[in-house]
Amino acid sequence: MPNLPPNPDDALMGAASRNGRTEAVVPTYYERPMLKAPHWEWNVVTYLFLGGVMGGLGLIQLLAHPERDDERRLKRTARYTAFILAAANPAILITHLGKPERFLNMMRIVKIKSPMSLGVWGLVFYSGAAGANVVRELAVDGVLPRWMRFVAPGFMAPAQALLGAFTAGYTGVLLSATANPFWGSGKRHIPAASVCSGLASASALASLLSTLEGNHAAVHKLERLEMVAGAAELLVLNDFKRASGEYGKPFFEGKRGERLRTYTVLAGTLAPMALNALGQMVKLPKPIDAVRTTVASVLTLVGGYILRDSLIEAGKASARDPKAAFRQPR
Amino acid sequence: MATGFFTDTTLCIGCKACEVACKQWNELPSDGFEFTGNSYDNTSELSGTTWRHVAFVEQMSVDPEGGLHDRWLMSSDVCKHCTNAGCLEACPTGAIIRNEFGAVFIQPDVCNGCGYCVVSCPFGVVDLIEKFDPEGTHYNLASLSESRLDSKQTAVQQSGGVAGKCTLCYDRQKVGFVPACAKACPTESIQFGDLDELRARAKARVETLTERGVEATLYGADDVGGGIGSLNAFFLLTDRPETYNLPAQPVLPSTRQPAGYTAAAVAAVGLALAGWMIFRNA
Amino acid sequence: MPGLGTSFGRGGATVWVPDLQNADCILIEGSNFAEAHPVAFRFVMKAKERGATIIHVDPRFTRTSAVADIYAPIRSGTDIAFLGGIINYVLANDKIFREYVEAYTNASYIVGEAYKDTDELDGLFSGYNEETRSYDVSTWAFERDEQGVIKKDPTLAHPRSVYQVLKRHFARYTPEMVERTCGTPKEQFLKIAETLAKNSGRERTTAFAYAVGWTQHTAGVQFIRTAAILQTLLGNIGRPGGGIMALRGHANIQGATDIPTLYDLLPGYLPMPSALRDEQTLDAYLKTNTKATGWWANTPTYMISLLKAFYGEHATAENDYGYEYLPQLIGDHSMLPTTFAMKDGAVKGYFVIGQNPGASGQNAELVRAAMERLEWFVNIDSYDNETVSFWRREGADPAKIGTEVFFLPAATVLEKEGTMVQTSRLLQWHDKAVEPAGSSKSDAWYFNWFMKRIKELYADSTDPKDRPILHTTWDYDHDDPHERAKGEPSVLKVLQEINGFNVADRTQVGGFTELKGDGSTACGGWIYSGVCPDARTNRARNRNASGEYTALDWGFAWPANRRTLYNRASADPSGKPWSERKKYVWWDEAKGEWTGVDVPDFPKTKAPSTPADKHAKGMAFHSGADPFIMNVDGVAQLFVPAGLQDAPLPAHYEPLQSVVENPIYAQQSNPLMREWIRRDNAYNKPVDAEYPYVMTTYRVTEMSGIMTRYVPWLAELQPSAFAEIDPELAVSKGIKNGEYVTISTALGEMEARALVSGRMRPLRVNGKKIHQIGIPYNYGSMVAFARGDSVGELIPIAVDPNVSIHESKTLTCNIRAGRRRAHHEGRVDREVPPDERTRMGEPTF
Ligand SMILES: Nc1nc2c(c(=O)[nH]1)N[C@H]1C(S)=C(S)[C@@H](COP(=O)(O)OP(=O)(O)OC[C@H]3O[C@@H](n4cnc5c(=O)[nH]c(N)nc54)[C@H](O)[C@@H]3O)O[C@H]1N2
Ligand SMILES: Nc1nc2c(c(=O)[nH]1)N[C@H]1C(S)=C(S)[C@@H](COP(=O)(O)OP(=O)(O)OC[C@H]3O[C@@H](n4cnc5c(=O)[nH]c(N)nc54)[C@H](O)[C@@H]3O)O[C@H]1N2
Ligand code: SF4
Ligand code: SF4
Ligand code: SF4
Ligand code: SF4
Ligand code: SF4
Ligand SMILES: [Mo]
Repeated sequence: MPNLPPNPDDALMGAASRNGRTEAVVPTYYERPMLKAPHWEWNVVTYLFLGGVMGGLGLIQLLAHPERDDERRLKRTARYTAFILAAANPAILITHLGKPERFLNMMRIVKIKSPMSLGVWGLVFYSGAAGANVVRELAVDGVLPRWMRFVAPGFMAPAQALLGAFTAGYTGVLLSATANPFWGSGKRHIPAASVCSGLASASALASLLSTLEGNHAAVHKLERLEMVAGAAELLVLNDFKRASGEYGKPFFEGKRGERLRTYTVLAGTLAPMALNALGQMVKLPKPIDAVRTTVASVLTLVGGYILRDSLIEAGKASARDPKAAFRQPR
Repeated sequence: MATGFFTDTTLCIGCKACEVACKQWNELPSDGFEFTGNSYDNTSELSGTTWRHVAFVEQMSVDPEGGLHDRWLMSSDVCKHCTNAGCLEACPTGAIIRNEFGAVFIQPDVCNGCGYCVVSCPFGVVDLIEKFDPEGTHYNLASLSESRLDSKQTAVQQSGGVAGKCTLCYDRQKVGFVPACAKACPTESIQFGDLDELRARAKARVETLTERGVEATLYGADDVGGGIGSLNAFFLLTDRPETYNLPAQPVLPSTRQPAGYTAAAVAAVGLALAGWMIFRNA
Repeated sequence: MPGLGTSFGRGGATVWVPDLQNADCILIEGSNFAEAHPVAFRFVMKAKERGATIIHVDPRFTRTSAVADIYAPIRSGTDIAFLGGIINYVLANDKIFREYVEAYTNASYIVGEAYKDTDELDGLFSGYNEETRSYDVSTWAFERDEQGVIKKDPTLAHPRSVYQVLKRHFARYTPEMVERTCGTPKEQFLKIAETLAKNSGRERTTAFAYAVGWTQHTAGVQFIRTAAILQTLLGNIGRPGGGIMALRGHANIQGATDIPTLYDLLPGYLPMPSALRDEQTLDAYLKTNTKATGWWANTPTYMISLLKAFYGEHATAENDYGYEYLPQLIGDHSMLPTTFAMKDGAVKGYFVIGQNPGASGQNAELVRAAMERLEWFVNIDSYDNETVSFWRREGADPAKIGTEVFFLPAATVLEKEGTMVQTSRLLQWHDKAVEPAGSSKSDAWYFNWFMKRIKELYADSTDPKDRPILHTTWDYDHDDPHERAKGEPSVLKVLQEINGFNVADRTQVGGFTELKGDGSTACGGWIYSGVCPDARTNRARNRNASGEYTALDWGFAWPANRRTLYNRASADPSGKPWSERKKYVWWDEAKGEWTGVDVPDFPKTKAPSTPADKHAKGMAFHSGADPFIMNVDGVAQLFVPAGLQDAPLPAHYEPLQSVVENPIYAQQSNPLMREWIRRDNAYNKPVDAEYPYVMTTYRVTEMSGIMTRYVPWLAELQPSAFAEIDPELAVSKGIKNGEYVTISTALGEMEARALVSGRMRPLRVNGKKIHQIGIPYNYGSMVAFARGDSVGELIPIAVDPNVSIHESKTLTCNIRAGRRRAHHEGRVDREVPPDERTRMGEPTF
């Protein structure tokens, strides 16, 4: 084939028409994406985010020791909140599916290979465990008859924690085990980051609620937990950037990357970390400390949400990149 | 018996009869009237309501003496009915099944529109369908008969929001008909039949073409890699797969799950330990 | 049609589509076979699979080119030069099939001394009259001996033998000249010439396929003549995998020529009586039109049987079988001249049935403006279209249009029964699949009732001039009570009448050989005779494809169910196949008859050794080795001394609107072409700097016309009018792919989306770089989903002298980026005064 002279207007003929077999450049099909972008909007972002928070609360309710008063209160708060979130999440999913009956279609089968299927079942069992534990709390609180404590025997707490770890983790697998090149490139990182971010957000939410309750002792512990989770999340994201390379660009670079750095890294993790560290080191007056905790918690929660949103949006961008899909990450 | 397609792109004349036959048989609406300027391809891609798509690739030399090397490649794309199908594995409702013909089939009345199959197809095939508008201009007025709509799976899809893709003409196969697209193809570019037989025919065809000096390769007749296995709709290509908007290295999404769950578990255990220490120390 | 007709005897394609699979090489030129005939194209692909070489010569690289083995670009309108170049190549290099040419053509005939070739007259032939723009064809006649027998030189050495005339005539068409004229690189041209020569002869055959890429030119008939000469020289006519495949257009276009909708023909290619010839009585007509020798010696039989079918018991020997009831021609009543007459107020009423000239017509605005001048207009169609809605088009004021418009809804093909005759001359019956929608009726219903009511209105008339109405037989009532109740006529009865019957007992005739010229048989279209050989048989219904690939039990091919015409030529003069590989029809010595896989196109028991009786009439004039039975001499005519108005041998002329001067002759374009020089039909000047680009028109697979534009599934595939432009031109004009461009001629403007593609390539012609722009003709701007300006807005009317076909394949134009002005602003005859650029005049009617 003869050599092609440079084309004065590249867009004119479309890349595909010019790139014969001989050109080293990978041809694209008129710059058209090969893959389909996800149809997912805010509802799925929220679903994934809440899945993480819920999961984190599962761990917190287990960690909190019933014998220590602050932790006892924390345990109760964590359990109530987890249950509310677990109940809300299907509703959010339904807003995405369009009709309530459609959620029930998910209950037809259990499919080990489908993170979406396992996730829904995880959510259902988690709700069950969380529900049982809430019943126990209500019985302990005397709202329900005392004997109803036995609805949730002792192993229900670790069960909720285990299921929680799953609900937080599967939201990551749900993304990474798809054909989407960017998501696929994070097959380890996205699940790990989801767990970390989920726990950080859960801690933030719990400390926010504990602050409102005036349970400062618990806040102190939660903030330490949040710092650890946040630090782990940053480590994972940093390694993700390295490992994903080209595939990661829609996530780590450009406007989306900037947003991620601003909201999730800076404002969503580093800033609350600093505030929390401050709280650990200096004893501030109570009202000021409450503001500090509130600000730190809200920032963490927003950061966690933006992380999920960025993941989804970067996934869309990645799917629209005609070249990325030709060689899918293994 | 597993059936499928052998699409021999060297026989395609780009008439799009396959596209139209598919839409007609399945009573799918048009996707709008948009001029793209991309060769003769105004369809652009497979969609929830376009289950065959003929790609047009112009490889024209600017040099006037180059006439003998010019090529205009055409290829009719379709769902691959993968041996290990990403969409099928991903579907949480069991709407996607493998039927008795070895085809990957979406049961529209079970589908809940979660869209998970859409992101799980390594070939970008399946997509969600927007709500049908039978009165609208996109719909073919000729097929407005209620009774026919009822007997079609598209009747369910009318409500919109479910996934759509090639059924490998399940309804036709059940009564012994050849799929509409293969039936309509005037040049036998689309060959339908028993897969073993098709594969043998395809290999023989590659040999014939090679003898004639045509560089031809099969895509999907054997394992395409990435855990997907072979494709029940496979292709004979004369250029690299990317030229036809096909992935050179597709990967079955579910192969990433073990790593994902492990990573999540490691993170969870690590954080749980950290949490245990934080709370114990307090 | 006369291109093939004068060469071989019949206007139809010499072959049938599935036979293409037997070809060793197929030259597709003047057709976009794959796109316009995709289903038939499967047989081209089959040939390719069997190892045949497929060649496509076209101004554009199309979907046909994409699967061809060799593609060569050509400047639109220069095929005579291209094919003439190949003729020169095979003659100069002695690559012709000499035995075939010696035996089966008029190569040895001696041309009279009066004949002067274009070679001497620089583009004109002898006998040209400048004033009347016509030829005295007597100067083209063959030389005859005292007894009137044509002189021949079997050695082909005589300087005035057709063979030597041909050699001299085409000598200028050298490969260099082809490159200079057609823009086709010399190497590519030579490669094609060699491939054709290599794949012709005793053992191998090459088929040609063309369609309107060759016909829609002011020298269109001569394009086809060039192909006919070349195929004859290569010995490819009448042989399997050979021949000339004239691809027909709309589904029944072949049928509409056989039982014609043409103004100058009666069914079965009998000429329409003309007041301009000596044809005032039946005797005179028969004298003018009956050929002394060859099959057409049967003209009286066919004509009288036809009149018997028309007028039944009222057709008697005494009244010339009602011959005088037939109308007689007084001029060119074809569509385009009639449109001018309409515009000039000479036509009061207009029927348009199954056509959309308001979009597909040439000078579409002229057509629509002409309709404004009518008193009434009847449109029978299945859809609203640009024709019936002419009164509400852009720029028209309905209040000022007085035409009364009647729209009669027509049933579509699926809603009625009948036959379709496709490109292989094959009649295929189809049943009604569904009842017509709403109040629509079949076309036959309308004509049945028009005639019944007209007869009723004249029932009491004694005026002799009303006799044609009263005496026309009309008995097509359906036998099925259900259909009869709906008023549907029986089209089967029509077909049975076309087949012919014995008047006495109304039994069907078995074929045209049973027809008589004494009024004892009636036949509505002799060429179809045999399709309904008895009351119960309708061979158009046959659907048995088993047995030989010729599938003689599938449908019915006219004449006499033959697939390949002139198939006697597939055997050598002694009756043996030219080669084992290419055997088709041969003489069976033992049985004493012609046999083979097809119905022999020859008297069944006439032995190859039968000598010619040069003083006999009819078929006896031919020897047993004269395969072209329809021709007077029984041989193929390389040189056509009579029958064509513009040339006995094809010569390259530039199209009326061309971007270059004729590189081959001083004569620029066909001297006999018909033009209408008037303001509303403005032409671009030849070699006009204002209109520097060649424009060509064609169709795309996805679109046909209204019928496809209304189907969303098809409309989405090619949603709007577009123009194909080469990248270089696009860059120089600032045109972006996918955006709007405006194309203009002296006649008007149209807008379309730009499709910039390397498939269009600039050519070097006569030292000048030529850009060609391609525009599909399928669009109209008023109705349906797929829309766009019709290219007919840009095309002034100029026609071929033989068949009045318009030149719509080669034009000149200009182009710019952006959208057009409102129609009335762009239109020349409304606002822009005539200037020097355009060759305009006042109305001529
Ligand atoms: N899809 C579809 N199919 C159709 C139709 C339709 O509308 N749509 N119409 C039917 C009808 S009515 C007809 S008549 C047939 C026509 O069938 P075709 O003649 O095959 O079709 P066209 O596209 O008009 O023209 C054929 C080719 O001629 C080329 N051409 C133009 N000028 C020249 C020239 O001077 N020399 C040569 N060698 N080539 C030239 C054009 O670039 C084009 O590719 O198609 C029939 N089939
Ligand atoms: N520039 C340019 N112009 C061209 C050509 C070109 O190549 N270039 N090609 C020319 C050629 S070859 C042709 S054949 C013409 C085609 O030109 P047209 O014949 O005008 O084309 P269509 O749009 O197919 O029109 C057919 C009409 O018949 C109607 N119809 C369909 N079925 C039936 C029926 O059963 N009964 C009745 N009564 N009506 C029916 C349809 O609704 C439609 O309105 O265009 C010619 N015009
Ligand atoms: S190609 Fe895509 S949609 Fe088709 S079976 Fe494979 S994964 Fe599913
Ligand atoms: S959209 Fe339907 S078919 Fe696709 S994964 Fe969800 S339920 Fe299954
Ligand atoms: S097999 Fe049936 S559903 Fe699939 S593309 Fe072909 S026609 Fe359409
Ligand atoms: S029908 Fe056959 S030839 Fe036509 S576009 Fe489809 S695959 Fe190609
Ligand atoms: S539209 Fe009809 S005539 Fe044309 S290719 Fe298709 S089947 Fe043949
Ligand atoms: Mo036509």
